Amino acid sequence: MTEPVTTEEKQLRDTIARQFGRSLHIRTLDTGSCAVCEQEIRLLAAPHYDLHRLGFFFTPAPRHADLLLVTGPMIRAFEVAARKTYDAMPGPKVVVATGACALGGVYPQDPFTYGTVDAVLPVDVWIPGCPPSPLALLHGLGVAVGRLAEKVREVSFTVDDDSERSVSSP
Amino acid sequence: MTLWFLRGLRRGVVTTRYPARPDASARNLPTPPAFRPRALTRQTADQLTSICPSGALSRDGDVLRYDVGRCTACGRCAAQAPHAVATSGAWELAARDRSVLIKTIPIRGGA
Repeated sequence: MTEPVTTEEKQLRDTIARQFGRSLHIRTLDTGSCAVCEQEIRLLAAPHYDLHRLGFFFTPAPRHADLLLVTGPMIRAFEVAARKTYDAMPGPKVVVATGACALGGVYPQDPFTYGTVDAVLPVDVWIPGCPPSPLALLHGLGVAVGRLAEKVREVSFTVDDDSERSVSSP
Repeated sequence: MTLWFLRGLRRGVVTTRYPARPDASARNLPTPPAFRPRALTRQTADQLTSICPSGALSRDGDVLRYDVGRCTACGRCAAQAPHAVATSGAWELAARDRSVLIKTIPIRGGA
């Protein structure tokens, strides 16, 4: 998702964020992952993370879902099912690619997979990690509905030689 | 873990306060590497590129391209070159734009 250009676009984004703000139903889609991402997603519903307190709910039906949480490298055999799931969701909808597989890290050259989720579905938010921890998933969901700011833009992943262990900003 | 359990027993609440408050357990998460540009030579960068199992690293002249999205935080680069690679401690990595996750690390250590 790029930055809004026109005021109409910004208004539309704000409206969507407001509609998604209080109650959001999540459909998870496993496109060939090793199921560790699913374990972390399952933990979101456990008492420690308790994503229901934030207004997020899991739903088994794509027709009830606002957000598609996609894991795995998108195996080619699953393409039709993935497209059908996406088409069955009512708009406005958000697609979140979860984990290093879905972002092209683990099987980029495998002939049985597309390697990335955005080869098939229009992805709005990317959550890195192998697997992303439940806290990282919570942050990603917050970013997807516009409640939390994306922080990785400011992180440069370099360390100054003078100040040990501190991640410097660009 | 023990402290977390005792605090939960005392207060009766185990649910994290995140995102309203920071979560203390985030300190223990495995996080992607952060690089020291001045300790990074072109040879080290090539070495790290060849051992990265998920292809997150690639070298382009004097720039190390690091794709955070592909990184699995396995720690092999930090084990190979502990003088040039540390842990970043960054775990809130979600991005609305894929290109935000591709970082350019300058190589200042020479050949």
